[in-house]
Amino acid sequence: MFAGAFMMGAKDRLLPPSIPFRFFASAILFHVAGWLVLAWGSESVPGFLGGTGAVLAALHLVTLGVLAMTAMGAAYQMLPVATRRQLGPAWACSFSWWLFTPGVVLLSLGLGTGWPVALDGGAALCVAGLSLFGLLVGRNLAQVGDLPAVTWPAWVAVGSLAGLLVLAVLLVIDMDVGILENRPAVAAAHAVLAGYGFMGMLVVGFSAVLVPMFVLSKPVEDRDGKRVAVVAGLALLAGLAGMATAWSWLLVVACLLGLVAVGLYFAMQRRVLASRMRKKLEPFFRLLKAGWLLLVVSLLVALALAFEAPVARLAPLWAWLLVFGWLLSFATGILQRIVPFLASMHSGAKGGKPVLLSHLTHQRLLDLHAALHGGALLLMAAAMVFDLTSLARLAALSGLAGALAFAAFAGVLMTRYRAHERRSQS
Amino acid sequence: MLFQSQIGSLLHQDHMTTIETLQGLEELLGAHRKPPVVDPGLAEKLGALAATLRAEVESHFAFEEGHLFPLFMSKGETGIVMMLTHEHRSILPMAVRVADLAHAAVAQGFDEQSWRDFRDTGAELVEREIFHIQKEEMGLLAAISALLNESEDAALAATYTETVK
Repeated sequence: MFAGAFMMGAKDRLLPPSIPFRFFASAILFHVAGWLVLAWGSESVPGFLGGTGAVLAALHLVTLGVLAMTAMGAAYQMLPVATRRQLGPAWACSFSWWLFTPGVVLLSLGLGTGWPVALDGGAALCVAGLSLFGLLVGRNLAQVGDLPAVTWPAWVAVGSLAGLLVLAVLLVIDMDVGILENRPAVAAAHAVLAGYGFMGMLVVGFSAVLVPMFVLSKPVEDRDGKRVAVVAGLALLAGLAGMATAWSWLLVVACLLGLVAVGLYFAMQRRVLASRMRKKLEPFFRLLKAGWLLLVVSLLVALALAFEAPVARLAPLWAWLLVFGWLLSFATGILQRIVPFLASMHSGAKGGKPVLLSHLTHQRLLDLHAALHGGALLLMAAAMVFDLTSLARLAALSGLAGALAFAAFAGVLMTRYRAHERRSQS
Repeated sequence: MLFQSQIGSLLHQDHMTTIETLQGLEELLGAHRKPPVVDPGLAEKLGALAATLRAEVESHFAFEEGHLFPLFMSKGETGIVMMLTHEHRSILPMAVRVADLAHAAVAQGFDEQSWRDFRDTGAELVEREIFHIQKEEMGLLAAISALLNESEDAALAATYTETVK
């Protein structure tokens, strides 16, 4: 895939490494910031149902700062190579980072403090950065007709991005002047579009490229990717209609369709893994597998909510499983593999042997991150179920320690990469 | 996508064999901290390893550089050729070194020094060759399907059968 970029005379389609790396570096820093702010406001996590404060700020530091930031970097690097079409000028990709990154900082500040200037300014910058990203990706996808396993889920993601941005603007305006009659329903629709629609469908599309490459297996069948995209798209529409009308049976249908989409996605990934040449799965797969498991659990909790189970206890748990359980586990799993992979690829470009992935990767730090992240997930889920604020703080501190271990892994990687480059040039 | 061309399919089979060999090597290296005693079972494994590394890596690389890459160059695809050739230059000596060390161990066994050499060079070979195969599987085989016509594909497959297998 990335190798294919260097190969198929496609250097013009590859971005300078500084662009994806700046998105990944930002994601790693926001990862620490997100857990830190969550630890600060952890006593409010059990029973959290919305409202400004540290929890909402932490949630957006993770969703925007880590998840969307990682998705942007990966999409800018991967899509032009996978689709063999130009994505857009490098300056536009870079500009989206300049809009988005200060936007995440300001918006989180606004959501944490309720300060209108930060809230409005941050929201405007985030919407501008993500809109530019959506336009660039959409323009790339519009040129492609031969890669449906990637493009169909990606189109659902782009559509979801448009929808979630509109709802985000409404939510921010509502905080200023109060225009929404049913704010919780709009917030829930925004979360569903962001989590399952935008990020979730990007995960499906990226998985079709990344997983076969890492395990050396047959590519994903086109029809499999199309099926997942169609069923997931229907689930999203049913969910939105259910939230708009407050018809709970539509929400049940949405959850069931979501579970079917997940089943199809798992079957697709199982075929990929079954046909792999590389029998030993690398350690980052433990986070991917944990994420996949928690995706199912999140949908089961959503189903319970659709059957009108107690909202105060289950709604925060659902959001936790969706954002920190599924998506953050998956994103950190991919980040820990893709960053050394790209660094190794670029290290060979200046002559000399490319640096070994094992030399760049400090595996013990990643093991530590995985253990602390897993501990944080379990402890916070228990804190939510049993309404224990002290456990919530312990969970957030565990997550923070994991994020610091992950940042240390990135620091070690960059130090070793630079040392290798210096040695190669001397 | 990977199996649309005859030559892509043949190269893929080579990759499968090489990966299997490398995974066997990886298991062997992981199983022994100290130099293992080369009993008849291990001697057979080491002999097979040396033979496979020579056959699969040496002849595979030679075929690509001698027959496939010139065709790519003639179509203006120089980037792919430069990168893969550059990697061949670092992997091939390592594969030959591991094959030589395995061959020597069959005759004389391992001592501390020869086992350390075998383990270090073998571990690096596994990592570099698997990374290289990842690139070829996802980049080269797709490029073959996109760039070669049916007659070029058939001619390359015939040459491969004559010279490699």
